[in-house]
Amino acid sequence: MAKKNETKVLVDKKGKRIDGRGVNDIRPLKIEAGVIPNADGSASLEWGQNKVIVSVYGPKECLPKHTQNPYKAVIKCNYRMATFSVPDRKNPRPARREIEISKVSGEALEKAIFVERFPGTEIDIDIEIIDSNAGTRVAGLVAAAVALADAGIPMKDLVAGVGVGKADGHLLVDLNKDEEDADDAVDIPLAILPNSEELVLLQMDGLLTRKEWDKALKMGIEASKKVYEVQKEALKKKYENVKVKEVAK
Amino acid sequence: MKRIVVPGELITDKRKKTGSHVFVREGKIYSEVIGLANDEGEYASVVPLEGSYIPMRNDLIVGVVSGEKFSGYDVGINTLYPTYLSKKEIRDRLKVGSILSAKIRDIDERREVDIENIRVLYDGEIITVSPVKVPRIIGREGSMLNVLKDGTGSSIIVGRNGWIWAKGGNIPLLIESINKIESEAHTANLTNKMEEFLSKKAGKKVNAPKAKEEKAPKMEDKNVDKKDEMIEDEKGDLIG
Repeated sequence: MAKKNETKVLVDKKGKRIDGRGVNDIRPLKIEAGVIPNADGSASLEWGQNKVIVSVYGPKECLPKHTQNPYKAVIKCNYRMATFSVPDRKNPRPARREIEISKVSGEALEKAIFVERFPGTEIDIDIEIIDSNAGTRVAGLVAAAVALADAGIPMKDLVAGVGVGKADGHLLVDLNKDEEDADDAVDIPLAILPNSEELVLLQMDGLLTRKEWDKALKMGIEASKKVYEVQKEALKKKYENVKVKEVAK
Repeated sequence: MKRIVVPGELITDKRKKTGSHVFVREGKIYSEVIGLANDEGEYASVVPLEGSYIPMRNDLIVGVVSGEKFSGYDVGINTLYPTYLSKKEIRDRLKVGSILSAKIRDIDERREVDIENIRVLYDGEIITVSPVKVPRIIGREGSMLNVLKDGTGSSIIVGRNGWIWAKGGNIPLLIESINKIESEAHTANLTNKMEEFLSKKAGKKVNAPKAKEEKAPKMEDKNVDKKDEMIEDEKGDLIG
């Protein structure tokens, strides 16, 4: 553990970060679609140390009935962190933070789905964080978008996102835990619909100048488009190598 | 050339008629599902690779009785809500688990359906497939279905809702064949592949009669032909 007064050099003179990335680089990202056979749609994601599994069920009859909306489908999004996903055991009870992230993630995804086509129904999205190292809410969103597309739910666009922010006086893309814990850290998770560049999630923790903010937003949108390419690839990859299921005799 | 598209991917920026599973934004046509895009003809459309069953009028479906009321039955048909069948409409006394085939008469805005032309199916079993793969299991003018019937010797009724009723013949082979069709639904020349596969497994020459068989339900064929045009071309060797 670093002592309080000891400052880490997060970005060296060559512009390299602790893990060797440049300021505009995202961590290695790997997505796989269709990992849970019994779900309507599913995806697993590895983004640096983050590991996420998402399952999607629906559209199905919305129960309990008082939660129905006669004009559109209700998105019921659940973001949960596994007890072993953080260094100290997390209480499995849904915390304030998880309830909030579930809400904003669901609202972000709702912008991408043609919800008005399925009145009186619900779409369940379960985002389970298996391992975390900063930026799990966008990781969850990115995986959830892939899982929704895998379920064949009609969508305007996928949802792609990334965390941007400031650490050690530098604007950075896709902060990891060390960078997020810096003294002057600013963290902005953002998600967009890549084709229209419409923002569907934007939160901010910390302070930036107007100039820094303009630059950070630009970096975030650019990085989100990189994420979008990985998402597209993951969905298409499912149909490249097909294996025939053998029936048990 | 047909290609796989994901939701929100551009299909064409030309002015075209919009087919199924596409939407228009700022004059350009985009896909709304994961599927195979086709923008060659008059229409720009997508054949989906995933998705649940959306009932349409005149679809032939297979249903299973899920409950009995005083004057009718609840029939599960792989949609959001079970449909209701009055006891006046059928002579047979049904039980929970009875299988029947029917045609969709009407749908309302909540996608609850009315059924007609009920036919009770005795014995047999139900094989479930993804509803979007049903056109490939029937094939162009029922060609794939004939291959399956000839190869396995089963009587088969394919419901648009993704439930397939089969009776007699070699059922394990039929299940294997259907799984194979389902997982290779987006590849080319599937009917010929299945002919070979079944010839090898059944140990006889499987050759589908080209004419329509009367067992293949008529109203369904009509529906399927139209959709299948998007999948296979004249020679039936395009990816689909």
